[in-house]
Amino acid sequence: MKKQVLSCTVNDEAVEVLVRPYTTLLDALREDLGLTGPKEGCGTGDCGACTVHLDGQPVASCLMLAMQARGRSVRTIEGLAKTGQLHPLQDAFVRHGVPQCGFCIPGVLMAAAAVLAENPKATEQEIRYGIAGNLCRCTGYTKMLAAITEAAGAGSAAGASARREG
Amino acid sequence: MSVMKTTRDIKGVGDPIPRADGREKVTGAVQYVADIQPRGLLHAKLLRSPHAHAKIVRIDTSKAKALPGVRAVVTAKDMPQLKKKAPTRAHAVLAIDRVVFSGQPVAAVAADELAIAEEALDLIEVEYQVLPVAVDPLKSMQPGAPPVAEAGTEADTSEALAHSAVALTSSETEPAKAVNISQQATVKRGDVAKGFAEADHVLEKTYRVPMVHQGYLEPHAVLAQWDTVGNLTLWASTQGSFNTRSEVADVLEIPENRIKVIPVECGGGFGGKIRALCEPITAELARVTGKPVRYVMTRKEELEAGMPAPQVIIKLKTGVKRDGTLLALEADTILDTGAFSGTVLAVSAVFLGSMYKWPAFEIRGMEVLTHKPSVAAYRAPGAPQTIFAIESHMAQIARELGLDPLEFRMRHLIQEGDPMVNNQPWQSNGAKQVLAKVGEHPIWKGRKEWAASGGKDGRGLRGTGFALGGWLGGLQPTSATVRLNPDGSLNVLTGQVDIAGTNISLAQIAASAFGVDFDQVKITTGDTDSAPLTGLSAGSKTIYTVGSAVLKAAEDARRQTLEIAAKEMEASIHDLEIRDNKVVVKGAPDKSVTLASIGKKGNLYMSKVPPVLGTATPAFSQQAPGFAAQIARVEVDPDTGETTLHDFVVIQDVGKAINPLGVEGQMQGGAVQSLGIAMTEGLMFDDSGRLMNPSLLDYRKLTAADLPNIETIIVEVPSPSGPFGARGVGEPPIVPAPAAIANAVEDAAGVRITELPVTPERIALARAAKGNGG
Repeated sequence: MKKQVLSCTVNDEAVEVLVRPYTTLLDALREDLGLTGPKEGCGTGDCGACTVHLDGQPVASCLMLAMQARGRSVRTIEGLAKTGQLHPLQDAFVRHGVPQCGFCIPGVLMAAAAVLAENPKATEQEIRYGIAGNLCRCTGYTKMLAAITEAAGAGSAAGASARREG
Repeated sequence: MSVMKTTRDIKGVGDPIPRADGREKVTGAVQYVADIQPRGLLHAKLLRSPHAHAKIVRIDTSKAKALPGVRAVVTAKDMPQLKKKAPTRAHAVLAIDRVVFSGQPVAAVAADELAIAEEALDLIEVEYQVLPVAVDPLKSMQPGAPPVAEAGTEADTSEALAHSAVALTSSETEPAKAVNISQQATVKRGDVAKGFAEADHVLEKTYRVPMVHQGYLEPHAVLAQWDTVGNLTLWASTQGSFNTRSEVADVLEIPENRIKVIPVECGGGFGGKIRALCEPITAELARVTGKPVRYVMTRKEELEAGMPAPQVIIKLKTGVKRDGTLLALEADTILDTGAFSGTVLAVSAVFLGSMYKWPAFEIRGMEVLTHKPSVAAYRAPGAPQTIFAIESHMAQIARELGLDPLEFRMRHLIQEGDPMVNNQPWQSNGAKQVLAKVGEHPIWKGRKEWAASGGKDGRGLRGTGFALGGWLGGLQPTSATVRLNPDGSLNVLTGQVDIAGTNISLAQIAASAFGVDFDQVKITTGDTDSAPLTGLSAGSKTIYTVGSAVLKAAEDARRQTLEIAAKEMEASIHDLEIRDNKVVVKGAPDKSVTLASIGKKGNLYMSKVPPVLGTATPAFSQQAPGFAAQIARVEVDPDTGETTLHDFVVIQDVGKAINPLGVEGQMQGGAVQSLGIAMTEGLMFDDSGRLMNPSLLDYRKLTAADLPNIETIIVEVPSPSGPFGARGVGEPPIVPAPAAIANAVEDAAGVRITELPVTPERIALARAAKGNGG
């Protein structure tokens, strides 16, 4: 099957890339754009390791065709931190010693960032359900929850100031 | 171990320091095998058998070879090294004339694009003659069952020796008899018949645990490339690069020093990435094509044709006096190893008979081959399954005799010096201290109030349970070097793969031993060309063994540094200490020489000062067992059997927490894997040997929404032999939860579940059979 031109925004930059009609968004990001942060843990949308944001919403990029992102805005883990500084969630994950093998972490962070973007004051229970689609085999989730709830607490103040700027 | 003579506190051992690779991991920068994309990369796929047992009549690859973009199609015919009598799963690269499990590779393809490789698989024609299968181990061990291995294939016990350092003596191991029985062993002591004759209370139950998958998020992956003079480089997701090198060399019949294994970041292993699996075939495709070839297993392939933990069936019978005095234990353990031998038979015997002081026992163990994917280690291989049996049983005995379950265990618990079932003495351990902490915990103390509290609508059945479990600790020789650099910083080099955050702990050990802060230390896991030889990252032995090597190498480097400084300052080495990156004369702080100047002189043109390079190459004989107890507080829905886990506590003796942050992470992660075995996980095969739940939707792992926070209580009973008193940490926390959950459910709902996982269905059916609920 002939390749098609995918034009979209990835991590705030306009990109054009040739993809097959059957190429998934995950494969286009990883193989064609070199953004290997999103991972393939299952390829069937069950593990969450491939989670990216599409127009701000979390999606399983292994379940989407690349061409479905045409004209839309994609954000991957590589674009979560802006201007070289860690996102508060990333910073909390490092300090709490969350990552072990690290394979699930990009997906978990993107899912958690989406939860907090929608509800900066999310409770621990809301966060648990917010990342329930992301499997982690190493951590038992406890430190993850501590880091995200801490970022949620700090984020409600930071989020307010960010909204004022916007 | 020596005590460091530093005059101020070093930032090193005992500090909760976040891992150095945290930033790389939260930004998505860290590279796993599937992230590496060299120029000219080819993608590999394997054609796998849909049948669990079949004769291969004919394979025709001509159509696949003709597909544009296909660079190689390989079958067993193309690999003269392959033998019908494959001694291990790794040697069974491609099936020769018979497939012995569903998912076994039959042909391999390398193509320009993954989609082309997938299309090529559809074009390979294989004619099978389907043969009768042996899926159920109880049927497979009967005479006349369809044979799994080629006649004369020997049992593979290397896993047991490398991983757990547990063995039964040869006289205890009997030759295998029936066609599919690949290992068999019996251990006994005392007069079991007399014990049962004198018993007031005899309890007999059969415990069943299905095959479970290690569940690492990163599927098996490998990238292979040959250079033009015949050297192979493998970028591997492995728990032991030297082991991968040895296995690939053996299978492909090439010298080990022709293979360089680069251990890429491992996205979880838990025992499943010890043995070679897809490395040999990927190397072969790279050889045939002359190009770099990458193979990444799909999740479906992982579940259908990975190397899960064995199915375990334990028939356990005990006899005790009315007051709880132990008399006799008799057990039959059956380990379903799948299509190739490789279980850790001895672990089961040791934990069944050695945790409590049984005066008489007879434990028979059997490894049975079936037409299913062959098994490998999964974090404390054999222990969660065995502890499920013995700790369920101990709780049930206490319940039936009206004894306090904790006091009953405490009364009979082993201590240092007591003989294990293999007559080896128990080494120093903290089992008693761990069990005592259960008794002190508010959740255990408040169990009656919890049981009476009735749940959200007053109908919930609430209960509390605990279990004790452990791991003896693996042993394997290792080596490490510590180098002083010209700027006074240190490099530590090992070949040890960091699968559990061990590198930060090793850096802390080097820092404390040498006398500098940990941020002066950089630790590197080298590849098999450059790193000193080391063993597996398995068996909870990295800190215990490699930590000892790093400690000794750092002490060696420190001694060399002090000797150079002593000469320079004309002082006795005994009057020197390392402080603030200088070697100073004690009591004369103005007399000093910087570490940087010593390091520099070791690298100066015409210098007579030798470079500082500390080395250590220890081997080990003494284990340091680690015990963990877990307490579960549950609520069972009286109608549906649905079980909600409200609280979960892990209490673990780690000897010395080198890095408490990492130790907690291991305890929490291990606990949740243990809870998965307890509550949701299990590979389910149909009668033809096909996996019925080959996706993560159907193979159900626990999510953040299923769990409470895992409370951790670190106990430190120093090991006399480990670095700074450390014991193995990774495995003990995966052991107790199945029994802890079953005991809590029994306390809540009054039914004893003896088959894992403890599902709502099993609880509801057991309650219905008992006449309540349902």
